[in-house]
Amino acid sequence: MADVAFLAEFADGHPTRSALELAVGAAELAAAVGGTAVGLAYGPGAADGAAGLGAAGAARVIVLGDAAEPAVTSAGPLVEAVRAEGPVAVLAPATPNGRDLAAVLVGSLGLPAFGPVRAVHMEGGAIRCEMSTLQGAMITASQPAPSAPATSVVLVSAGTYSPREGGSGTATVSRAPAADSPQAKVRIVETATESAAIAALEEAEIIVAGGRGVGSEAGFEALNQLAAALGGVVGASRAAADAGWVPYQLQIGQTGKVVKPALYLAVGISGAIQHRVGMQAAEHVVAINRDPDAPIGEFADLFVVGDLFEIVPRLTAEIERRKGT
Amino acid sequence: MKIVVCVKQVPATTAEKRYSADLRLDRTAAEAVINPLDEYAIEQALRLKEGGVVDEVVYLSMGPESAAEALRRSLAMGGDGGVLVTDSALAGADEWVTARVLAAALDKLGPDVSLMGMSSDDAKGSLVPGAVAAIREVPLLAYGAELTLTDDAARIRRLNPTGFDILEAPLPVVATVTDQVGEPRYASLKGIMAARRQELTTWSVADLGLDPADLAPLTQVVAADPPPAKAPPQVISGVGPDEAATRIADWLAQRKLIA
Repeated sequence: MADVAFLAEFADGHPTRSALELAVGAAELAAAVGGTAVGLAYGPGAADGAAGLGAAGAARVIVLGDAAEPAVTSAGPLVEAVRAEGPVAVLAPATPNGRDLAAVLVGSLGLPAFGPVRAVHMEGGAIRCEMSTLQGAMITASQPAPSAPATSVVLVSAGTYSPREGGSGTATVSRAPAADSPQAKVRIVETATESAAIAALEEAEIIVAGGRGVGSEAGFEALNQLAAALGGVVGASRAAADAGWVPYQLQIGQTGKVVKPALYLAVGISGAIQHRVGMQAAEHVVAINRDPDAPIGEFADLFVVGDLFEIVPRLTAEIERRKGT
Repeated sequence: MKIVVCVKQVPATTAEKRYSADLRLDRTAAEAVINPLDEYAIEQALRLKEGGVVDEVVYLSMGPESAAEALRRSLAMGGDGGVLVTDSALAGADEWVTARVLAAALDKLGPDVSLMGMSSDDAKGSLVPGAVAAIREVPLLAYGAELTLTDDAARIRRLNPTGFDILEAPLPVVATVTDQVGEPRYASLKGIMAARRQELTTWSVADLGLDPADLAPLTQVVAADPPPAKAPPQVISGVGPDEAATRIADWLAQRKLIA
């Protein structure tokens, strides 16, 4: 059997964007080895929504659990499902939840681990993973060692695959057997909502990101307006999140989100390497900075040297004028 | 209560990095430092000790003999002891091998909390902590913006899409913390001098009861190349803000990024 499995996280009754992306990746890889894509679903709504993953690319879905518990509590059923199925690969989103489950899987079964990858291929029935490593200094390709177990665990960066549009079909659904695991002892004792309106950066096609140069929480208002004019969302560097100008959920970089938008507009961001690793996969990068020597100039496609407080409102107005609004 | 903080020696962020002919990272080529994100784990452990919750903070590192320097730098910040696992059998270790070795060393050290940074600079899978938790059969509490302890449980504050959750698990646990726990302290001169004199414990793979034959990496790097060179940016400089805004809009329109 040469199936390719993928972790399918559900939230609020729906599959997350990562589940829809990985379904496509798993289906592609499975087709190359004559198998099918198998979803491993967890999170609130996973049981009810599992069959719907058929439209995303899955032939079968195994439900690991569907309670509002920490994702890692699904590790026990996950390990048992993978042990029973023996897929060529298990694709996991490179998110905290995805990494928790992938890591426990690797440790429980002693499996080769890769990623986060920027591309995955099948070569002669074996998986080949390409990743950016050493903070972007190198692109490496890795494969399982000849003696390795047949299943590889692969972390996949957001945006590596695009969700299938207009798909149809229903996946066959089964339930993973209950399995005891130390991870079942992890529980949520408190949940706090700080802001219900935090944009999902991983899904955005256009991101306007602000850094230390924006200067204040109020300074981000101009960025919000520019993002709205562009049909995008606002992100931030660690400096801006640490200063409390935006919530940490909007932080982009090594210790925040890793994004892959069509347009990344960096405003008042100097471009430290830790920020770069979070946005270097963007298709187009525009930087506005008053410092002509800012490192962001080295990896921007368009580098505008000037005062962001003067340029950003005028750019917003210019874009709105061209849109005829 | 005892915390073991796992620290990894990595090439400095600014150092030039290269792969040797066998496609392993050439760790002799670059200036080495403590993985910057591990310093937050050290800081968290030392704060818990200062708060009186923790009695003992011990550092554990796996690496070449030169990784002893990472342990001394950690001890210079504070803490009570350092253990280096070093063995020629471990060159080229992957996540699985690293996790097995760390888990075996942690079994010997018996901490209540095995604490690590959220990821390392030189590889960013962040899978080792969870794999260690699985091997040791203890709960994983990862990505804590803060770690707190009671007599029999650990708690972390972890971001969720709109706020945060407090996650709890009974001790012992493996935990990781983020760069939100507070800025790592600088080592004092006194701390640096004391760390230099400190005896470190050194273990081989055999000392951990592991067989080198079982520690072959499960993954292999088959190619390593520098990324394709990026074309130099188009620069707009020395123009007024109106002109700059118009030219940015033109540039975006040419690429169909605005309607």
